[in-house]
This record gives sequence, structure tokens and C-alpha cells, in this order.
Amino acid sequence: MTHAGAGEDRTLPRSLAAHRTASIVAGLCGSIFLLFLVAPIARLVAGGGTSGVSALFTDAELRGALWLTAVTATLAMAAGALGGTPLAYLLARRSFRGKAVVAAVLDLPLLIPHPVAGIALLLILGRESAVGRVLLHAGIQVAGSPVGIVCAMVFVSAPLYISAAREAFARVDPRYESVARTLGDPAWRAFRRVTLPLSMRGLIAALVVMWARAVSEFGAIVILTYNPKVASVLTFDRFTGFGLTEALPVAAVLSILALIPLVALRALRPDHGAGMDV
Amino acid sequence: MIEVVGLDAQVGAFRLREVTFTVPRGQYGVVIGPAGSGKTTLLETIAGIVETQAGQVKLDGRDVTGEAPERRRLGIVYQHGYLFPHLSVAENVAYGAADAAFAAEIAERVGARPLYDRPVRALSGGERQVVALARAFAVRPSVLLLDEPFSALDPRSRTRLRRVVRDVHREMGTTVLQVTHDFTEAGLLGDVAVLLDQGRVLQSGPPGGVFREPASAYIAEFLGAENVFAGTVRALGDDPAALGAGPDAARGHRALEFRSGPLTIYTVGDAADGPTHAVIRAEEIVLSRDAAATSARNQFVGSIEEIAVLGALTRVTVDVGGASLVSALTTRSAEELALERGARVCASFKAMAVHLC
Amino acid sequence: MRIRSLVPVVLAVAASCNKPAPKSGESAGGTAGSGGAIVVYTAASVAIPIRAALDTFAAREHVTVQQENGGSLDIARKLTELHEIPDVVVLADYHVFPNLLMPEQTTWYADFARNRMVLAFTDKSKFATEVDSTNWPKILQRPGVELGRANPDLDPNGYRTLLTLQLAEQYYEQPGLYGRLMKLSPAKNVRPKEADLVGVLQAGEFDYIWSYESLAEATKLRYITLPSAIDLGTPGDTDMYAKASVKVAGKTRKDTLTIKGEPIVYALSIPKTAPHPQAAEQFVAFLLSPEGRALMHATRLDALGTPVIIGTGEPASVRAAASAQ
Repeated sequence: MTHAGAGEDRTLPRSLAAHRTASIVAGLCGSIFLLFLVAPIARLVAGGGTSGVSALFTDAELRGALWLTAVTATLAMAAGALGGTPLAYLLARRSFRGKAVVAAVLDLPLLIPHPVAGIALLLILGRESAVGRVLLHAGIQVAGSPVGIVCAMVFVSAPLYISAAREAFARVDPRYESVARTLGDPAWRAFRRVTLPLSMRGLIAALVVMWARAVSEFGAIVILTYNPKVASVLTFDRFTGFGLTEALPVAAVLSILALIPLVALRALRPDHGAGMDV
Repeated sequence: MIEVVGLDAQVGAFRLREVTFTVPRGQYGVVIGPAGSGKTTLLETIAGIVETQAGQVKLDGRDVTGEAPERRRLGIVYQHGYLFPHLSVAENVAYGAADAAFAAEIAERVGARPLYDRPVRALSGGERQVVALARAFAVRPSVLLLDEPFSALDPRSRTRLRRVVRDVHREMGTTVLQVTHDFTEAGLLGDVAVLLDQGRVLQSGPPGGVFREPASAYIAEFLGAENVFAGTVRALGDDPAALGAGPDAARGHRALEFRSGPLTIYTVGDAADGPTHAVIRAEEIVLSRDAAATSARNQFVGSIEEIAVLGALTRVTVDVGGASLVSALTTRSAEELALERGARVCASFKAMAVHLC
Repeated sequence: MRIRSLVPVVLAVAASCNKPAPKSGESAGGTAGSGGAIVVYTAASVAIPIRAALDTFAAREHVTVQQENGGSLDIARKLTELHEIPDVVVLADYHVFPNLLMPEQTTWYADFARNRMVLAFTDKSKFATEVDSTNWPKILQRPGVELGRANPDLDPNGYRTLLTLQLAEQYYEQPGLYGRLMKLSPAKNVRPKEADLVGVLQAGEFDYIWSYESLAEATKLRYITLPSAIDLGTPGDTDMYAKASVKVAGKTRKDTLTIKGEPIVYALSIPKTAPHPQAAEQFVAFLLSPEGRALMHATRLDALGTPVIIGTGEPASVRAAASAQ
């Protein structure tokens, strides 16, 4: 029995009590931070949710903007996944000269102010550019069309995907692939049968991030393509033109509708992958 | 057959330099070396997982240097097993097998079949290695690479799996190369032993030869020879008792005298005069209560410093005038001799049991 | 650990018990200035002249100044919806004052400068070497020419463009010219504000944009002037300009506002609840004084020789400065 000091009445060992305090403090901080993230959106939905949902039936412009956002963001996600996955895999598995530079360059689009990104894309893809001229011949004008929207979305969201996908691949021990190769699989098949399933959870999380980022983009898109309007541009327009009462419903219904794909994507995450020590 | 010539490779801090050795077809090769010597890198280079920087790898006479792993017809089992967690046991075993029936058969053979209904994550270490072996054998490899596959297992599983591997290896005629840091395992298993240290091959050959005639004191100590002494050797003069006569003398083997501190050891060989090491395996030292007239050229009287009983074997350390000699004998014999600490014994061994390096 | 799970619930309940946001019109006491800086909200098209005036004023009076640029309607929304009240409001369209800001935010405003519509372009623009004040309708209608304009519902420049085109049809006596010129800048060539057009023009995506003279000068674009009968730049020609009219969105999406052609006049005011009223008055008095007018001329803004004050309740110093010669 430890000797208690005069007047002390410890019911818990010191370390356990300290642990409990730390837990409470952590829980408090976490709750406050969670509130900080959730409260504004909750306020949005509370303020405009009902009028927003009813506007879905009456407001064709709103429906159009939401549909356009959904289509372009999904296309951007697909393009980013197609182009970004090999890059992410390379960064995760191979070392090569200048790898750190390449990785840093891939993060640059995240740094650039969004309107600047829009202008930069315009310089590369606009009708005066080499690429733009070729596209124009094929009948595609990037600025002022959904193509421009997708380009802006890909530019700002792909770096997020590549970063996260790279992490997902890095978490799969390369020896799994090595074993698969010795068992007769060429590199691509070992990737498909082993690495891909094992990293799928992380990849889907990366896709969610990319899709969400694409949906929320405004500054780069409005430079390239103001009309037709995506939801973010419509919200801005409604606010500037008519104030909060017109803007809230758009923002609210966008938040509500965006929940569906976000939840669906998260639910798609497969079971294995965790508990990789096998 | 595994033939490695002048192999150079590097993975991070691990480097292989000019590695050369051969494991004949259908034989069992063992790579022994301390941690960090590059053993895993060697296996992965042979497998094609690590790129060769110089030299060649030939499997069954075919130069596979630069070829992709999937074309080399080999299997690899790591210490960890690396079973695919997202597949069932059955799917793991059948992963690369072209012949599903054979895969099932080999699974049965190594004892993996009963595990088919269990999730991969619920398997014990030994069970995982069994499945990993089945998976590797199922593709009918001509070469099997094993990276310390048993070291994480409990002794019973270890023994059982060793036997399984040996048996299947013989049945299928697979050439095996196993990495271990346990040199007794090497002695038990191998047809060919390869000593690897800091990326270089120190010595290779039949394990018995390597153990009995290590190329250096370092190797001897690494291999666990207990009696390694540094000293000087000189040829003995025309002492008839020392010289001996007959065919040995004619072959150039001379009588030699080796001095190390208080020890004077007689041996034969063709070593030149000068500094050298003498190695005597503990198994070669015979203990007796009294000095007897035997043919052993070397007899020392001393007192027992220490007795270590390891199951059926006993190791006795004898202090002979300042130097220690370690003798290995059966526990039974030790008991019959009533050996105990401090007791006076005689340790003797033949001149021919002494190896100079 | 039950305590930990209770915490978020408690906080959520606490957060839901907040008071509702004040409706527009009620003052919630929001202010925009930080510390002692004078805050001026300026229409983007006069940002540079106002900046010059502010800098001179700041150096002379040893005060700090903060300028925020935006579209005239954006700025109005900041006051009415977000209750961010600056010290001075400078707008490109005086209508915004009676339509949105009076009488809740202010009771007076002063017309102090004029501007006119021009057609701006760069050296890279198609037919840049050919275009002039008379042949521009034909040049614009050539195939491959991209023409940009601002959103009429958000930016006065947007509806002024439409008015100018209507006047052009009457002036050049070419029926259907308005329709043809409007077709040249379809929805995909629209951007929220005039300022958003400049970057796109410079990147080569547009060949021509409808702009203000002050803005074209400020952004160093080339431009051609239009006949004064159509460019909304002569304050005396109100009757002529009134021959054109457009419908734009009103206070809510269901309303429309009919705007008749008028000369482009810039107006400013000091909000009732400005955080630094004295400093604001000093600055406005400076701006409207002969010295301030000269400064604006120097920065290519056509300051009115005699600023006109509409409404009541303006500070005496402001009135005095406006009448000074």
C-alpha cells in the first residue's frame, strides 16, 4: 500500500487521472473544431434547405447548374484518376533523378491563386495557343464550354488526388507485388490483382477528395467558363445580384445533394487493406 | 541449377560485390551470413526483383540476367510469408498455378489443405508459412528461394516445415537456395553452403568442408567453432616422432608445431611458417579422466571451467594452463565420466583434427 | 469516457441557440474599418484614380487608408446584406444609390465623374490595325472575331453595353444591327464584370471587349472611341440616350428593372454609420475640390467640373468643396 500524504485521498493512481483529464481536453478540442467545420454548413442548410429543395422543382437554372456541376466534376474525377494514378504509382514505387522536384511541381497547382490558375489555363488552352488551335480545328473551344470547366477542375483537384493515391500505394508493401511477379504475373497484372485491391480504400478516399474539390472550385472556372454556370458560379451570381435570400437556397441544396455521392463513395471502400500484417 | 557469376547489386544500404557460387540442379543451397550481409538482396537479385548492376544469373543453364521475375520460373518465400490479405487461402495457393489440380495436390502435401476455410488473417505464423510454401510450389518452380522462412516459428513448426520442404524439394527436383543466419540449420539442410559477409562471398562449398576447413578464423568463429586460436606455426625439424613417414610425408604434408600462448599444438599440413590460426571443432576433442595412451597427438590436462548441458549434448570448457578448450560430447558420456566443475580431466585430439587458416 | 461523448452534444445545443441574422435594413452595428484606417469601397472601373487620390490624401493627413474594389452591385450587397459599412462608397452607377442604398444606408450622394463606353482591344486582336470609330460594326461581324461583354444583371457596364448597341442601331440606321451585334457575344462570351473581361482579352481569348474609357486607359488597352451619340459619355445628351432601354434583373429574381439610357455618371457617398465620419468627410471634400478633380483628370478619369449633390443631409464641407472652382 503506498503511503498517502496527510489530507490526500487518491482514489485513482496519478497516471490514470492525468490520462482521463487529457482525454477530456482532447475531446473538448475535437468537439469545438468539429463544430467549427460543421456549424456553418448546418446554418446554410437550416437557412436555405427547404426553399432550396423546393426550388429544385421550380428553378430550371438551378437544376441545370447542379447537373452541369455533377457531370463536369465526375468527368474531372475520371480524367484525374486516369492520368494521375500511374503518376502516383510511379512516385510511390520508383526512385529516379529529380523525383523530389517532380513531386513538388505536382503540388504547385494547389498554391496558385485560383483566378491565376484560370488565366494560366487560358494561355495554354485558349484559342490562341498551340493546343487550343488544334482543338478548335476539331470543333472544341475550351473557354466558354464545359470542356473549360473540366480543365479547371482537373487542374486544381488532380494534385490532391495524386498525393493521396501515392500514399495509398506506398502503404502496400512492395513485396506483395514482388511475390506476385515470381508467381508469374507481369508487372501490370501484379498491380491489378494485388496492389490495386489492397490500396483501393485509400484510392477511393483520394477520389472523394478530388471530386469534392472539383465541385467547390470557383475562381479558376469563372475565368474560363462563366456560362454555362456551375453551382458555385450560380451561387456567386445569385448573391451578387440578389443577395443572401437568393443565394442561400442554392448553397443549401448543393450541400445537401453533395452528401449523396460523398456518402456513396465512402461506403464503397472495401473491407480488406486494414490489418495488412498477414 | 543456380549459377551466379560476379554479381553486383545494390538496394539502399545493402550491396553485393562480385558474388559467385553455384548450386547444382536439384540440390539444396544455404546462404549463411550475419544480419546486414546482403542475404535477402542476393535472393531478390536472383529472383529479378532487384536489378543486377554487373555479373550474371543463370538458372538451369539459361542466362536470365535482366529478365523479368515472371519469366524466371522460380518461387520465393519470405520470412513474413506475404500472403495476399484480400484473397482466401485457396486463392493464395492457386494464385499463379496453371494447373489447379496440382495446386490442390501440393496444398495437401505440405499440409495447407486444412487451412482452406480459414481467413488469411486468422492464421498463425507457422500456418502462414505453410500456405506460402504451397503457393510457391504450386507453380512448379525449378528454383525455390527461401528467405529465413522458419526463423519466426516456434521450434516444433520449424522442424516440421524443414522436413516438408526437404521432402518436396527431393520429390520435385527443385533447386533450393535458403538464407539463414542459423548455421546449425545450414549444417542440417544443405548440399552447398555459401558464406556471405558484407555483400561478399567468403567461402562456398559442401557444408561439411566449410565447417571443418573454414577459410579464415573469422569464418570459423562465425560458424561457431569454439576453439579458434591465433598463433604461429613452424615446421618441425628432423624429429622422427614428429616427422612420421610414409605416404603423407611424401605428399608434402609436414609435421607442424603451432604455438599460441601456453598452448602447443601438433598438426600436419602444408602451411608455411608464420602467423596463422588454428581451429579445432568441439566435437573433435575427447575427454577422459586420466591421460591414456592413445593415438591423439595432442593431450592436455586441465580442470573443468564450465559445463553446459543442452539436451542430449553437453559442452564442457576445460582450462588448460590458461587457455580454454571446449569439448562437445553426449550428455550420457558426460554423466558416465561424472564430470563436474573443478574436476581434473584430460582433453585430447588428433593432429589431423586441427585446421589451420 | 461518457463525458467525452456528451461534449459535442452540449456544444451543438449551445450553437443552435443563436439569434437569427438581422434583416437587411436593421443595423447590426457591423463595421468594416480596422483600427484607424479609412475604408473606401470603390467600383473597379475607377479604382486607379481613387487610389491616387487616397494616397495623396493619406500622405498629407497622415492617416492610413484601405481600398476595396468590386462591382457596384457587389459593393451595395456588402452594405445591405453583410452589414460591412465602409467610410466612403464610390459606385459606377448612381442608380444603385436610390435603388438599393437609400434611405437605409445613406441620404445623399454626389455625382462626381463621368465615363464613356469604348471598344477595347490589344495588338493581338484580329483586324487591330484596321478597326476605327466608324467601321467597328463591320469589323466585329467578320467571322472568327470574339467579342466579350459583362453580365447586365451584375455590372452596370453590362447593361450599358446593351444600351450602346441599341443606340448604335438607331444612330447608324441599320435595323437589326442590335440583334446581330448581340449575337456576336453569346452567353459563353459573358463574364461577371468588366474587370473579368480584361484578363481574358489579354490572354487572346477575346478580340474585343466592351469597356469604359477609364478602365481601358488604366489597363493600358488599345481602344476606339464611339460616336458621342451612342457612348453614354456626354452628360448633356440625356434625351438622346433615353431612346434606348433594357430590362435587367431587379431586387429579386422575379422582378425586372427597366433602365433607360443615361450618361455614365460616377457617384459617391458617406454611409450613415461610417466608422470614421470626420476623416471620410475630409477625404470626400478633398476629392470633390478642384485639386481632387485635377488629380482624377491626371489619372484619365473625366471628373465633372461641377459635382452635383442629390439628396439631403450631406456634410457642409462636402457641399462647399463641390461648389468651389
